Amino acid sequence: MSDVKKSAAEKAAEIIQNYDGPPIRIMEVCGTHTHDIFRLGIRNMLPENIRLISGPGCPVCVTPVGYIDEAVWLALEQGCTLCTFGDLIKVPGTDMSLAGARAKGAKVDMVYSPIDAVDYAEAHPDEQVVFLAVGFETTTPASCVAVRKAKEKGLTNFSLLTANKTMDNAYLALQGSADAFLYPGHVSVLTGTEIYERLRDEHGMSGVVCGFTGPEILTALALIVKGLEKGEPFCANAYPRVVTAEGSPEGRELIAETMEAIDTEWRGLGVIPMSGLKLRDEFADYDARLKFGIPNMEGRANPACRCGDVLQGKIRPDQCPCFGKACVPEHPVGACMVSDEGACSAFYMYNID
Amino acid sequence: MNETITLAHGSGGRQTNELIGSLFKKYFDNDLLTADDAAVLPRPEGRLSMSTDGFIVSPAEFPGGNIGKLSICGTVNDIACMGAKPLYLTCGFVIEEGFETARLERIVESMAKTCKEVGVKIVAGDTKVAGKGQVDGVFITTTGIGVIPDDMNVGGACAKPGDCIIVSGDVGRHGCTILLERNEFKIKADVTSDCAPLSTAVDALMGVTHDLHVVRDATRGGVGTVLYEIADQAGVGIELNDKDIPVDETVQGVCDMLGLNPLYLACEGRLVIVAPSEYAEDLVKALRTSPYGEKAAVIGQVTESNPGKVVMKTSIGTKTILPLPGGELLPRIC
Repeated sequence: MSDVKKSAAEKAAEIIQNYDGPPIRIMEVCGTHTHDIFRLGIRNMLPENIRLISGPGCPVCVTPVGYIDEAVWLALEQGCTLCTFGDLIKVPGTDMSLAGARAKGAKVDMVYSPIDAVDYAEAHPDEQVVFLAVGFETTTPASCVAVRKAKEKGLTNFSLLTANKTMDNAYLALQGSADAFLYPGHVSVLTGTEIYERLRDEHGMSGVVCGFTGPEILTALALIVKGLEKGEPFCANAYPRVVTAEGSPEGRELIAETMEAIDTEWRGLGVIPMSGLKLRDEFADYDARLKFGIPNMEGRANPACRCGDVLQGKIRPDQCPCFGKACVPEHPVGACMVSDEGACSAFYMYNID
Repeated sequence: MNETITLAHGSGGRQTNELIGSLFKKYFDNDLLTADDAAVLPRPEGRLSMSTDGFIVSPAEFPGGNIGKLSICGTVNDIACMGAKPLYLTCGFVIEEGFETARLERIVESMAKTCKEVGVKIVAGDTKVAGKGQVDGVFITTTGIGVIPDDMNVGGACAKPGDCIIVSGDVGRHGCTILLERNEFKIKADVTSDCAPLSTAVDALMGVTHDLHVVRDATRGGVGTVLYEIADQAGVGIELNDKDIPVDETVQGVCDMLGLNPLYLACEGRLVIVAPSEYAEDLVKALRTSPYGEKAAVIGQVTESNPGKVVMKTSIGTKTILPLPGGELLPRIC
C-alpha cells in the first residue's frame, strides 16, 4: 500500500510501532488523556521501548486530603450546602468522604457547572452555598464567572472553597520524570502554546499538545518519537483544530482579574510555588475560608495510599499494594481510584493485565 | 370527569367507575376485558412465556413516548424475546392524587395505540389512587403472557463461539433522552427515545430461522450490560467492532460532552441477537425491513478467547476491554 493511501492514523501508528531506538518515557498530564488512551487501546499497541506514564493530570487526584476535610467541616460544622462536581463526592478525607458526610446529614449536591451553584444559592436564600472549586485552567474561568455573577446579584449566601491550580510550574516540578510530555489539550485552549516554547527554550523540556481522538493521540505520539530521535528539545501543536498559539486572552484576563497566584500543595508533588489560585481581595466575601474562618487542616492520607507515587509516575497503579484489593472504585483508599480521570480507575476499569 | 384525579377515584365507588368507564374501558375495550374479578382466557396452544415489569420513569412524558407506551413495550418485548407471540396483558395503575386527567388520558391512549400495533389485548387491570407525595405522578405495572413455538429455545447461556452479534438499531437513545429531559446538565439536543414494541421484529427474525441462540431486549444498562450478561451466562468472550456499532450522531455528541458510553445508556426498543453467523446477512435484512429496525447491524462476534470479557476493536485498529458497567452517571470535570 503506498503512503498516499494510508491514513494519518495508520502512518502515525507505523512510526510508533517501528521505533527501535533507546527506551523513552512519555508522560501525559491530562486525566482525559489518561482515560482516552486506555479507551482507545493505545497502550496495547506500543512497542516495549516506549513507556507511557500517567502524571498528575486529574484535578481531583492532585487535591490534597485536607481539602476534603475543609469541605466536610463546612458541611457538618457550619451547615453549609456543598455544590460539587461529581468526582469529589467519594474521595476519602482524613475521617470521611463527602459521601460519608452526606450519610451523617450533610447537604452535598452534585452540579455540572459552578453557575448552577449560584442559581441554587439564589433560589435558596436560607442556605449557605459553597461551591468546591477544583480544576485546572479549563474550568477555572467558569468559577470566576460564577463569583462575579454572585457579586452582581449581591448574594450573601454563596462562596467558593478554592483549590484551582495552574500547570505552568507543575511542569517544572515534573522535569526529569519523562523524556517528553503529551501536553493537555483543553488546558492549552486557554493558555495557548507559548508556555511550551518557554519550557523548550529555557528548560530543555519537550512535548506535543495532544487532542482526544485516536488519530490525534497517535499523531502526537508519533511526533514525540520523531522529535526525540532528532535529539533536540522540541514542542509542537498536534491539536490545531482547537488550540491556537495565543489561546484565550479573554479567559486568562478573567482569571487574572478574579484570582491571584499562590503557593499550593499538590498531592504527591508537595508544594509547588505559585501553582494555585485564590480569590482576589475584592472578592474576599466569596472566599469560604475567610468567610467561615476554616481552621488549618493538615489532612492525613491513609498510610497505605500510594497515590502520590502514582501521580508522579514513579509506580504504575497496579504496582500499588492496595490496587484492586483494599482499593477499588466502590471503596477507594485514595483519590486516583475514585475520579473518572484518575490513573488507578483507568487501570482498574480497563482491566490491564 | 374532573380535571385532576382525586382520592375518590380510587375508592371503588361511583368515581372509580367513572374513571374506568371514561378512560380505561374506553381505550382498552376488547372481548376479554370484562367487569368480572378476573379474565377468562382461551386455552393456550403451547408453552407460555410470562413477564412482569414496573414503570416509574420520570418525567412521565418525553420525546418519543411516555410511561404508558413504555409499560406496554417493556413487557411485550420481554415476552417477544423468548420467541413468544405476546397475547394478553394486565396493567395496574397507582396514580398520585392531583394528577392531571388529560395527561392520564394521553398516557392511556398511547398504551391502547401500542397494544393495537402489537395485536395484544389488555384483559385485566387495577387502579389505585395514592395521596399527594406518596407516589411520583403515576406508576404502572404490566404483566404479560405469550405462546412460544415448540422449537424456539433461546437464552443467554446458548451463545456459542463463532456466533454473530446483531443489534436492531442505534443504541442509547432512550437513556440519553431521559437524561436530557431531566435538564440536570442544561444541554439541549434533538434526541428522541427509541421506545418501541419489537414483536414484529422478532417475528421477522424467526421468519429467517428458529435456530436463534439469544434474543434480548436491551433496557436499563444498555447493550453493553446485556453483552456482559451473555458473556457471563455462556462462559464465552465477545469481540465488538467499534466502527460497526450504530450510534446516533447527536447521542454520541452528548455522550462525548458528559463522558458517557452509549453502550451503557438505556434502550427501550432495541434487540441484541446472537445467532449462528451463517444467518447474519439474512437476519440483518429481515430487521431492516421491519419497523424500528432500519439501522440494524452486525456489531461483533462471540469468541472462545477471553471468556466473560467484552473486547472492543477500536476505530484505530487497537483492541481494548469494554469497561464493566457500574456506578452512577457522573459528568466529567473538564
